[in-house]
Amino acid sequence: MDDSTAPELVSLSLTVNGRPCTVRVDPAATLVEILRDDLGLTGTKIGCDRGACSGCTVWLDGEVVASCMTFALDAGGRSVTTIEGLARDGQLHPVQQAFVEHDAMQCGFCTPGMVMSCAHLVESNPDCTLDDVRGAIGGHLCRCGAYPNIFKATLAAATTVRQRKTRGPA
Amino acid sequence: MSTLQWTDARSVEEAVALLSASGTIAKAGGLDLLDLMKEGIVAPARIVNLQRIDALRGVRFDETSGLRLGALTTLAEIASDASIRRNYSALAASAAHAATPQVRNAATIGGNLLQRPRCWYFRNELFHAARQETGREQSQYGAIFDNAMSAMVHASTPATALLAYGASVHIAGKQGKTRTIALGDFLLPPDFDRDRDTTLGSDEVLTHVSVPPVAANTNAAYHKQTERESYDWPICDVAVVLTMKERKVEGAKIVAGAVAPVPRRMSASEKLLLGREIDEQLAADAARLAVGDATPTEKNSYKVPVLEVVIRRTIMAALR
Amino acid sequence: MSASDPREERTILAGIVGDSLRSVTRPIPAGEPPELPPNAELRVIGKRVNRVDAVPKVTGEARYTYDVQLPGMLYGRIVSSTVPHARIKSIDTTAAEAYPGVRAVHVLDRILSIAQLRDPSVEADERYPLVRYHGQPIAAVAAVSMRAAKAAAKLVRIEYERLPHVTSLEAAMQEDAPVVFPGPTEQAATAGGGGAAPNLPQEGNLRGPARGGLGGGPRGDVQQGFAQAEHILTREYSTQVQTHTPMETHGLVADWRDEELTLYASTQFVLSVRDEAADVFGLPKEKIRVFSEFTGGGFGAKFGIGNYGALAIHLSRKARAPVRLMLDRREEHVSVGNRPSTIQRLKLGAKRDGTLTALQVESFGTGGVALGAGVGFCHSTMYPIPNVLTEHYDVFTDAGPSAAFRAPGQVQGIFALEQALDELAHTLGMDPLALRDKVDTNDADDARARKVERRIGAEHAGWAQRRPPAADPGPIKRGLGMAQSQWAYIVHGTTSCEVRIRGDGSVAVMTGAQDIGTGTRTIMAQTVAEELGLRTEDVDARIGDSRYPAGPAAGGSRVTSSITPAARNASYAAARDLAARIAPHLGTKPEEIVFQDGRVFARGEPDRGLSFADAVRKANFDEIVHRADRREDYEGYRAKLGDLHISKQALGGVQFAQIAVDTETGVVKVERVVAVHDCGRPINPKLIESQIYGGVIQGVSYALYEERHLDPETGVQLNANIDQYKIVGSRETPDIEVHVIEQLGRQSSTDARGVAEPANVATAAAIANAFYNATGKRIRTLPMTPANVLAALRADDRNDDEEPA
Repeated sequence: MDDSTAPELVSLSLTVNGRPCTVRVDPAATLVEILRDDLGLTGTKIGCDRGACSGCTVWLDGEVVASCMTFALDAGGRSVTTIEGLARDGQLHPVQQAFVEHDAMQCGFCTPGMVMSCAHLVESNPDCTLDDVRGAIGGHLCRCGAYPNIFKATLAAATTVRQRKTRGPA
Repeated sequence: MSTLQWTDARSVEEAVALLSASGTIAKAGGLDLLDLMKEGIVAPARIVNLQRIDALRGVRFDETSGLRLGALTTLAEIASDASIRRNYSALAASAAHAATPQVRNAATIGGNLLQRPRCWYFRNELFHAARQETGREQSQYGAIFDNAMSAMVHASTPATALLAYGASVHIAGKQGKTRTIALGDFLLPPDFDRDRDTTLGSDEVLTHVSVPPVAANTNAAYHKQTERESYDWPICDVAVVLTMKERKVEGAKIVAGAVAPVPRRMSASEKLLLGREIDEQLAADAARLAVGDATPTEKNSYKVPVLEVVIRRTIMAALR
Repeated sequence: MSASDPREERTILAGIVGDSLRSVTRPIPAGEPPELPPNAELRVIGKRVNRVDAVPKVTGEARYTYDVQLPGMLYGRIVSSTVPHARIKSIDTTAAEAYPGVRAVHVLDRILSIAQLRDPSVEADERYPLVRYHGQPIAAVAAVSMRAAKAAAKLVRIEYERLPHVTSLEAAMQEDAPVVFPGPTEQAATAGGGGAAPNLPQEGNLRGPARGGLGGGPRGDVQQGFAQAEHILTREYSTQVQTHTPMETHGLVADWRDEELTLYASTQFVLSVRDEAADVFGLPKEKIRVFSEFTGGGFGAKFGIGNYGALAIHLSRKARAPVRLMLDRREEHVSVGNRPSTIQRLKLGAKRDGTLTALQVESFGTGGVALGAGVGFCHSTMYPIPNVLTEHYDVFTDAGPSAAFRAPGQVQGIFALEQALDELAHTLGMDPLALRDKVDTNDADDARARKVERRIGAEHAGWAQRRPPAADPGPIKRGLGMAQSQWAYIVHGTTSCEVRIRGDGSVAVMTGAQDIGTGTRTIMAQTVAEELGLRTEDVDARIGDSRYPAGPAAGGSRVTSSITPAARNASYAAARDLAARIAPHLGTKPEEIVFQDGRVFARGEPDRGLSFADAVRKANFDEIVHRADRREDYEGYRAKLGDLHISKQALGGVQFAQIAVDTETGVVKVERVVAVHDCGRPINPKLIESQIYGGVIQGVSYALYEERHLDPETGVQLNANIDQYKIVGSRETPDIEVHVIEQLGRQSSTDARGVAEPANVATAAAIANAFYNATGKRIRTLPMTPANVLAALRADDRNDDEEPA
């Protein structure tokens, strides 16, 4: 910014996808703005900017939150995981893989947020039922109507996670 | 262009002191604050962040003193806490059905009680400029009781359950003064002309909510009736808390939310149940009595039979 | 292909695979590839292939217009009207221009995408375009940050001279209603539909009657038809305004440079963005390049540049920097499109045996300040009714402009027509399916498809176990209903695909289309892969660049029907070219070369062949390029409106809905839908199912929850958000069972047709018919909110049907 009356920025340090970051932010900024505009992580989308569509879902200290309704400064000192941080070492998360197999998307704009919620569900409750899936994504809007395949993909991913857990470390 | 100032309060005393400056708003989860800011309804000069104040956290329960919820307790914590689910099931249910999983993870009980109404005139800055709730008759949501001046309703659904459990809020003010006020006296009918819909002073902080211990034979149920199940504001929500002696009702609290400016105790219905054994007929009679003095508008008249049904069903559900 | 291209008559099998195939003779243009057999004999087409661009979508790598970030990019913010009807007296932008970080401000001098006065001189003296709805875009600001743009936008001072306004359909129809447009108006359709017939009379806010449509206008004599009827029912239906609500709002990134204007658009039709920009800014088309890799939903509303796009381009030109202007959710609901409302007065005459003798519909609908509120064309095209008269009136209101929305008009029209048929069936003591068997008899592909679809659907939906109306004694009443769909089979005339085989064995195919979620890249890659014996993932499918060969609009369910024949023909030519080059190396003739399972070999000698890549390398060339245009359908079209080619054949579809009505709370739950559809030759059943899920879910949402609410006093949309504008979520999603039939119409080299819109057409009607089966009461008003349901349950449903002796 090049004007003298620019907002007074404050320093924000947080961990994003495992990496420590420090940015200077307008105190009124939301977490999604920081992620998208300051850190270039445009995978997280803004659908409504009011916390009603869940398109902006990220993990904050491992819990799902609406990043459009989270002050950036409230994430200070905490750990954020975005869609870009879900795959590990080039390996898709079971939910991501299942979404591909089951065509759990159409336009794809709601998909990053949806994947974050579904991945959180299968990791915290690999025994989840269809009702659990509906509940976990109850705040998500998918206007294209991919819900039936999202249900199938998430339950399939849960099976994968369950099997991995029973198999245990190699 | 002035920037929003952000201060992390380290203690309740510090927060109270900071709040005395004009244009200062306290923030817990920030859900309602952000929404109001984005809609252009509030534009604070400074935010006092309460999130670092440990004294505002924590859920404590014991059989003798009851439940103590720190103001920063999230709705998710309330919905999942074992002692709340066991002893205050209607409260747990109300929290579990509020908003979305994402919002529940961040929204606090303090913020939830202090939120402004969701009325779509209120949430639009155009109508604030005009300082009126234009065309309240046009809303098919809103109050069917006490709606002569305004049809706005309080937006908190946990408040419905908390009222049924006889909850109180605890407030800290200047010079370390604290006061306790029954929830029913704390909530005010939502109003465009005030900057809050509670009796919380501008330099006070809600520190915790207390709920009295429940009697041994307490049966409770909660139902939030929506148009859409996934995530929706209620047509009405009802909390029923009964204490039973053998099979007869010894004490009854029936509270309906989203149908009056503040959650409404259905006292006549409660009295009807006392000393009696509940069956479908009695529940129906109590429900009919509850809506008898409703004064719906043309557009929200459907709420009357719906509320009646929900009260009847929730009374029956409390028995199970 | 023109009419004068040499043709040969070929006799091929056509019809519904697994039901009835018959020989037909078609005039096939010379050089056309051989006809494809039924899908069971193919290797890639017809298979459940994973979407080729699924990975970027699930990893967040997919870049939408909202994600585009260019060096030095500015953020645009619109200033919109705060009154519903006014003359603008002055606009003062000085404070906004002076705001720190602001680089440009622009005030619109014309409004796109709304009705235009037939005689522009009527408002020629106006300094600014008239304001006709609350939220109409007036100007925009570009600044270095979104925060600065928003703050500066608030500083634009507008002085209004208010005029009387009207927001409700009924009020706007009154003689003394405030008038929205002071003279007759016109509005052309977009590539997605919408728009209105030209040169119709207009009085006050009423424009019409429009009597035409795909069926060609009135036929027979309805008075005589009713005279012949033994039963006449007259009913009124009403439907609400629905907003598109795509997850990605409308938006554009404009980068104006001296050499070229580059646009990144969230669009359904890349070339419409280019063409409207060329038109509005007086630029040659070659100087405009449009990119659209991924579009976050459109549903009919994203064509052209719109006012937001014009503003972005103006700002970029003024600021000499790229500008990204995305609408916020409120602006999205209000200013860029909606499905208009309707009031439909329908009169249906029939014989006692179900034969339909006459159908008359008088309808009204408001698309706000736009034209195009129709009720579709099903009345004259779906059933062979000898006497039909439809008269539709657009009614202007001071509200946001409508835009084509997934089967524009037809969803509204079928809601009424298919319910009327259901009522007729019950009155005559006929099973609704039996009535359809009796009357759905046109010699047309859609009628033939629906016959099979009724049978399949009835079996899977348990129609034989259907109970009489209001069978459940308790407050929760369940019911089963069905309704039929019809949509046009559309081909985009100017569609071209280019296939490139590179010397290293890689294969690419490209067309200047876009993807709003249907899977454009995938179906194109599958088609090429089939022809070259490869796997889908071996083909690099490219879209989203206006410099690629012209691609079709993603509207009218035409992408797959337009692209796949062009892609096939280009691949076929490339394969023949490659075969000629490889044949000598394999010691055979080009006609004997086979491409299969990733290999190239002489027919009958698979073990003596090479891998595709080795064969290409052996042929030793840099690159082979073959481009093919989408040829006309072999039997031509019913109508051609520019690039919109409408087939004589149509798409069908039959849906069965099982619902539960809580008669005490008025809450309706759609528990299960069986959707049976046709789409010509299904290219990818997985993607087709997704489209059908989407259409059904939008249909459920339209039937039960969605409604735009306007405040009459201010014209403000009260629920311009995602929590109070209610859309089906996870808990409202029914169990959906999909069946797709393979119908080979033999009109093109792939015979693929469309499915996205037919899947949306019948759902609300099926739910309404299920409502009757559940409760014994009709609900003729949408949406089926608790308030409307309780009113319907209470209504005295006695109708004075006529039964002329």
